[in-house]
Amino acid sequence: MDQDRSKVLIIDDEEVVLDSCNQILEGGPYDVATAMDGTFGLEMVSEFQPDIVFVDLKMPGISGFDVLERVHEFDPTIVTIVITGYATVDSAVEAIKKGAYDFLPKPFTPDEFRVITGRGLERRRLVLETSALRREREMLREHFAAIVSHELKSPLGAVQQNLFALEAELAGKLSEAQAKKLERMKSSIDNLLKLIHTWLRVISQDIGQIQESFKPTSIEHVIIESIESVEPHATRKDIELVPIIARGLPEVNGDETTLRESIVNLLSNSVKYSRISTQVRIKAEREDQQILISVTDRGVGIAEEDLPFIFGDFYVGKSAPPSERGSGLGLAITRRIIEAHGGSISVESALDKGSTFVIRLPIAESKTKGDSMIETSVVANSN
Amino acid sequence: MSETKKLLIIDDDPDFVDGILSILKGAGYEIEARYNPKEGYKELETGKYDLLLLDIMMGRGAEGVMLARKMRKDPKLREIPVLIITGIREQIAYLFPGSSVSPHFVEVDELVEKPIEPGLLLERVSYLLKTAEARKAEKA
Repeated sequence: MDQDRSKVLIIDDEEVVLDSCNQILEGGPYDVATAMDGTFGLEMVSEFQPDIVFVDLKMPGISGFDVLERVHEFDPTIVTIVITGYATVDSAVEAIKKGAYDFLPKPFTPDEFRVITGRGLERRRLVLETSALRREREMLREHFAAIVSHELKSPLGAVQQNLFALEAELAGKLSEAQAKKLERMKSSIDNLLKLIHTWLRVISQDIGQIQESFKPTSIEHVIIESIESVEPHATRKDIELVPIIARGLPEVNGDETTLRESIVNLLSNSVKYSRISTQVRIKAEREDQQILISVTDRGVGIAEEDLPFIFGDFYVGKSAPPSERGSGLGLAITRRIIEAHGGSISVESALDKGSTFVIRLPIAESKTKGDSMIETSVVANSN
Repeated sequence: MSETKKLLIIDDDPDFVDGILSILKGAGYEIEARYNPKEGYKELETGKYDLLLLDIMMGRGAEGVMLARKMRKDPKLREIPVLIITGIREQIAYLFPGSSVSPHFVEVDELVEKPIEPGLLLERVSYLLKTAEARKAEKA
C-alpha cells in the first residue's frame, strides 16, 4: 500500500453522489472506491481496507445503520461518516451514537466534502497512532521485566559475587581505608540490586503482592532508617535533614522495605531539588485514623502546569541539575507503594519556594497485630 | 569424611562462576565449572561429585530446572545434594525473604539468591554435604 495515499470508500445508492465524490477527490492523494448498496459496500470494506467510509443512511437493502455496525465490527479503527439524505439531525445523532465519527448532510458542496474527508482522515491517523502507542506500551511493560532482569541484574550480581570473593581473598591484607572502599562498592551494588528489584516489582508485577507481607510497622523506625540512607547525599549539599516525629505514633500495617523506599524517594527528591545549605524537614504525626508524613523542602519547586504529571511514569523535573537527573520512576513508584498500603500521596508546591509532599497512611488496627505475626511465621515454617 | 569434597557448578555466566570458584577453593573444596546444562550434566554423570551448584536460568529459560528434574529420575544422581543459585527468587519464593528454601527437586536441595555472601555460601554447602551424608548413612 502506498503510505501517502488514503483509501476512501463511498457507499451510496445514488450514482450521481458517487460520481461527484469521485470527481471532488480526483487528483488528490486518495484511492477512491464506491459501492451502490450495503452488501457490496461491506464486501469492499474487507477487500479494499479503507481508511474512511462514507455511508448513506437511506439505501435499499441493508440499512446504513447495519452497514455502520458491521464496519466497526470488522475494524474499529476505520473512520465512518454518514451521509444523511433527509438532513434530519436525529438520524445523524443516532449514527454518531453508534460510532460514526461525523455526518454529511445532502446536498453538500465540494468544499464541505473535502473538509470532512480531511478531518476524517486525520482522525484515522490519530486512532491508528494511539493504538500503536498502546500496543508499544504493553510490549514495553511485558518485556521490561525480562530485559531488566537479564541485562542489568546478571552482570551486577556477578560483580557483587566477585567483590565478595575479593574481600574473602584479601581478608587481613587490606588497610582500613582500602577495606572501606571495598565496603562502599559492595553497598552501592547492593543498593542497585535492590532498586532493580523494586522497579521490577512495580513495573512488571502487581504491586498489590506486597500486601502479602504486610505486618505492623513502626513509621518512626522507617523514617530514621530512610534518613540514614539519604544522609550522605544531603551532607554533600550541606542540607540538614530535620525529623519532627510525634511521640507514640501508632504502627501501620505495611511492608517495611517498600515503605522505606517511598520515604527515601521523597527525601532524596527533596535533597535533589533543594538549594545548597538549606533544610529538608520530615514530619510525622497522627491525624484521626491516619498517619501523616510530610516532607518539605526550600527547593526549586514545581510549576503548576507540571503538578498533574509528577506522579506519572518517567516524569523528570525540568529544573533538576543534569547531574541529578533521575529515572522519572521515583514518584510513580512511591505513589503505587503508598496506594498499595491503602494510603494516598499529594503535593503542594510553589515555583522557587519549595515543595511539600504528604503521605497519608491508615494506622494498623491493634487487634491484627498478633494475628498477622503468627500467620507469617507459620507460612515461613511450613516449607 | 576427611577427603577433599568435590563440587561441580553449572552456570552460564563465567563472571559469576569466577566469584564462586574463588570462595569455595579458598575454603579447601575441589571445584569444577561447566557453562551450559548439557556439558554440565555429562560431567555430573561421571559420578565424581559430592555436591552440585546449579543456576536456574540458563539458555532459553529455566534449563536448570530441567536438569534438576532429569537428576531426580536417575537413582544415583538423585542422591547428590544440590544448591540452586538463582537470580529469580522473587518469582518462585517471593514469600521467603532472607531464608533459604528447599524446592525439593532432589532429595537434598536448597535455593539461595544471587549474589550470595561467602559466609552463607560456605555454610549452606557444608550443611548440604552433611545432610546428604547423614541420609546415605541412614540408608546403608
